[in-house]
Amino acid sequence: MLLNIKDKFMNYLFGLILGCATIFAISKFNNFMDNYELIILIGSAITFTWMGNVWPNFRKLFLYTFSLSFISIYFYKGSLEEIELNFFLKYFLSSQSAIMWMTALYPLSLLTYWIYLFSKQDFYGNLATKITWIATMMGFVGLLVRWYESYLVGIDIGHIPVSNLYEVFVLFCLITSLLYLHYEEKLEIKKMGAFVLIIITAAVVFILWYTFEKGADEIQPLVPALQSYWMKIHVPANFIGYGAFAMAAMISVAYLLKDKGIMGSYLPELNILDEMTYKAISIGFIFFTIATILGAVWAAEAWGGYWSWDPKETWALIVWLNYAAWLHLRLIKGLRGTVLAWWSLVGLAVTTFAFLGVNLFLSGLHSYGEL
Amino acid sequence: MRFAITMFSLLAIASVIGTVLKQNEPYNNYIIKFGQFWFDIFEKLGLYNVYQAFWFLLILVFLIISTSLCISRNTPKILKDYKNFQDRVREKSLLSFKHSYQFSLKKFSVKKTISFLKSHNYKVKHKFIEGEGDLIVAKKGDLQKFGYIFTHLAIVIISIGGLLDGNLVFKVQELIGTKQIQLVDQPLSEIPLKGRMSEDNLSYRASILLSEGDTKTAAILRAKEGYLVQEIPFSITLKNFNIKHYSTGQPKSFESELLVIDKKTRETINKTISVNKPLTYKGVTIYQAAFEDGGSQLDLLVWDLNSSQPSFKMNSEIFKNNKLTFENQNLILEFKDFRKFNILEVGQNEEKKPKPTNVGPNFLYKVRNESGQAKEYQTYQLPMLVDGKYFFMSGMRNSPQEEFKYLKIPADDNLSIEGFMVLKSLLNNPQKVQNAINKGINTSAFTTAEKKEAFRLGAENIINAFVDGGYNSLVDAMDLNIPDQSSIADKEKAIKTYINIIYLVSQELVRGYQVKNKDDIVFPIDDSPRFIQDALTAYSDSFFYGVPLYLELKEFKEIQASGLQLTKSPGQVWVYLGSILLVLGIFCMIYIQEIRLWILRKKDSDSLIVALASNRDRMDFDQYAIEFKDKIKKSLN
Ligand code: HEM
Repeated sequence: MLLNIKDKFMNYLFGLILGCATIFAISKFNNFMDNYELIILIGSAITFTWMGNVWPNFRKLFLYTFSLSFISIYFYKGSLEEIELNFFLKYFLSSQSAIMWMTALYPLSLLTYWIYLFSKQDFYGNLATKITWIATMMGFVGLLVRWYESYLVGIDIGHIPVSNLYEVFVLFCLITSLLYLHYEEKLEIKKMGAFVLIIITAAVVFILWYTFEKGADEIQPLVPALQSYWMKIHVPANFIGYGAFAMAAMISVAYLLKDKGIMGSYLPELNILDEMTYKAISIGFIFFTIATILGAVWAAEAWGGYWSWDPKETWALIVWLNYAAWLHLRLIKGLRGTVLAWWSLVGLAVTTFAFLGVNLFLSGLHSYGEL
Repeated sequence: MRFAITMFSLLAIASVIGTVLKQNEPYNNYIIKFGQFWFDIFEKLGLYNVYQAFWFLLILVFLIISTSLCISRNTPKILKDYKNFQDRVREKSLLSFKHSYQFSLKKFSVKKTISFLKSHNYKVKHKFIEGEGDLIVAKKGDLQKFGYIFTHLAIVIISIGGLLDGNLVFKVQELIGTKQIQLVDQPLSEIPLKGRMSEDNLSYRASILLSEGDTKTAAILRAKEGYLVQEIPFSITLKNFNIKHYSTGQPKSFESELLVIDKKTRETINKTISVNKPLTYKGVTIYQAAFEDGGSQLDLLVWDLNSSQPSFKMNSEIFKNNKLTFENQNLILEFKDFRKFNILEVGQNEEKKPKPTNVGPNFLYKVRNESGQAKEYQTYQLPMLVDGKYFFMSGMRNSPQEEFKYLKIPADDNLSIEGFMVLKSLLNNPQKVQNAINKGINTSAFTTAEKKEAFRLGAENIINAFVDGGYNSLVDAMDLNIPDQSSIADKEKAIKTYINIIYLVSQELVRGYQVKNKDDIVFPIDDSPRFIQDALTAYSDSFFYGVPLYLELKEFKEIQASGLQLTKSPGQVWVYLGSILLVLGIFCMIYIQEIRLWILRKKDSDSLIVALASNRDRMDFDQYAIEFKDKIKKSLN
């Protein structure tokens, strides 16, 4: 009961903080925002308040992330040179350092999850979860600070950091791990971290390669086609989809292993794994549908038609059809088990192609992230 | 269902083909890629425009039909289900449910039970059955079934919207022969009716290319290898086209200032459109789609790189051809493109990382010789910083598939190309070269007249060879001067000496020139060794430049053209409506759980049977059933 009251209190407090922050932002930056951006700002505040209310840990993440970001921004003193001069910026809180911390912590948490899996000691399990949370927090700090940094590069260059392959890869890691952390809490399936973190670590490896080989972390101005408020919604929605599909595929791996009797005693029951795959795919499907539709609306403004059969669009359709088929089989035919698990793995391959392969091998109107 | 899935799979496969095979390229590219045989087959299959192919549209039509059929078959069932409470179950069947519970309850109130269920969002029906007792039937989550109708209806609506925006009308007109794709370029006014789509064409995506100051009254529809004219209800004038840049030089926005005049009402609209900010008028949306040169005017200076001829002036325009007789050849210069801004990754100096930088205007032209062969050139107006020195860059290639190979001409102290041109003229003047050699000999350490004469002859040979063919021809000159049996080391040494002689002579030439032209010293003072070396290298490279014809861009007047896209898309609103329905439907289907619940109070008994069922077998439901049963037990007691 006491907990309940405290929780309620925290909810109100959180809502209040977000409300005040929003009102402050509007009063201060009103002149820089058009109506759409105002709607997006208020919409985000409501969404985050709601998420904080249904998921207390999200609230914590949100508060820590914003506090750290503000501290970081304070250290910048409006100049990029501070990155080299200020100790905290240089090693912790500049965009690049924060993201590097993220890339170090995710593999560490993967390792810890595997130790937990085999040792079956809760200590390691809890530790792994904590590391994942901190990695996620650092990643979000990195992106938020990057957002700020982009304005320091040039006031007309500033933009939300979801505009190129480097930034969306970071976003992918963050969203996938958030989705996972949410289910870990709700379904008590801690051991799955050992699998989900594999795909995140793979993305981290890509980020590192992309940073050090290609210098992709440099902030570039937006090409005209990307200068649209739609980008702010379309891209994150898409990555909730991608992240959820990736998570589903990794759980399917666990399912297939368990089904073959490999590591059987270490993994959750088959029906739990099956259920979790379903949950991941259905949430991914909704967001992917919304993202694709938003993409069409955006395309109607930028390219002169809501559907141009651009390779990226077309592959989004293929991904969508693939998971629609998956859901049909499960919901209508009542199919379960190995076939669907394999299918969701194939789904990951299709998704990866839509996400990366199209940029690598096909050319089209989508103008970001050529390798 | 199976049919629909087959259609869907076909759709997916066709889409993949469409992304792997680049669409709507010039047909020649395909012929080169596949050979004539496969090209014909693929053409028949419509693989170069998959998404407009007849069979592709047919798949869409079948999808609409089969999904509609599916909806019409299932909807009555769903509606019936919606009304039906399934109140004919008996005790025995209730007990056989997976979630069936029996517990004793002292007091039982139908009213209280109903209000309890209602407070949990159930719809409830009560029935007293003779011989059995009180049966309370409840259900919730009907929306799940409606989700089916929503999603599938959405698919139909979206597909219809898509078809509306396809070019079905034209397809039919082409089939019956009233319209025909035009293959040859012609002035708009001469295109026959068969090649014109009328203003009230249902939907289209046409394009217009407008130079600054131009007005157009019709658009072009690309179709396969050719085009059609699309009549539009207004005229468009491009008053101005503007590219804004970021401080780093990259383009920030493309903006067209348009004047749109309605053909009937003469209403006028002035509006600036840009990417992501189109203008919609009379159901037609006008987008900023592309830009190119619109016929910029160029003032050029023509240099002969391999003679002492003076330069002369020439004026041209992009998209114009100039005829020129040059070194006894009749050449045609075809001017193709001009770009005022060019962002390249160039290094500021040796230490700094290359950064995207605007290196200024360049222009693209072809030089076609009498036999019709052409080489392509790309020349930058301003010198570029390379390894700390400024060079004029001009690229040459034999075909568009190749990369440009650049001729690097060093800039003089005034950052002009003049210094190089003076040096190449001096080298091509035999009298001046001879004087320079003599001067060198007189100040040298040669003692006898024979030695001097021998050296003079050798040096003259070498310079002549270099002037006529660059460093490469030195090898030939060497074979004349040095016996065959000499060792490689000797030959290398000789080449070094030759290069040195060329250098020294050039230096003498430069010095002589500077003495005479005191007011107008163009050669770098501190750094002439490096300048002369670079200039000699450039001179030598010019023999690989195709024609020794260098065009120096003096002045230009930029005229831009804006590429507009005109879209009429009546299906769009349907697609959007369908999309909203689709999202709603999916949400209902996935997140709403249909649950049915029965409570049976048997006559003359204090036991209660509670049964729960869902149409989908899910773990969530199992948990819910167990918890809810406990709740009932607790709250009814
Ligand atoms: C997008 C998400 C979709 C979901 C979640 C979904 C879900 C369902 C469900 C639950 C049913 C069974 C209805 C019932 O019998 O109670 C069904 C049947 C069916 N769906 Fe879908 N569907 C989707 C999209 C599509 C699409 C795009 C098509 C394309 C045509 C399609 C075609 C069909 C067909 C043909 C049936 C069988 C109808 C019959 O003959 O009984 N569905 N779908």
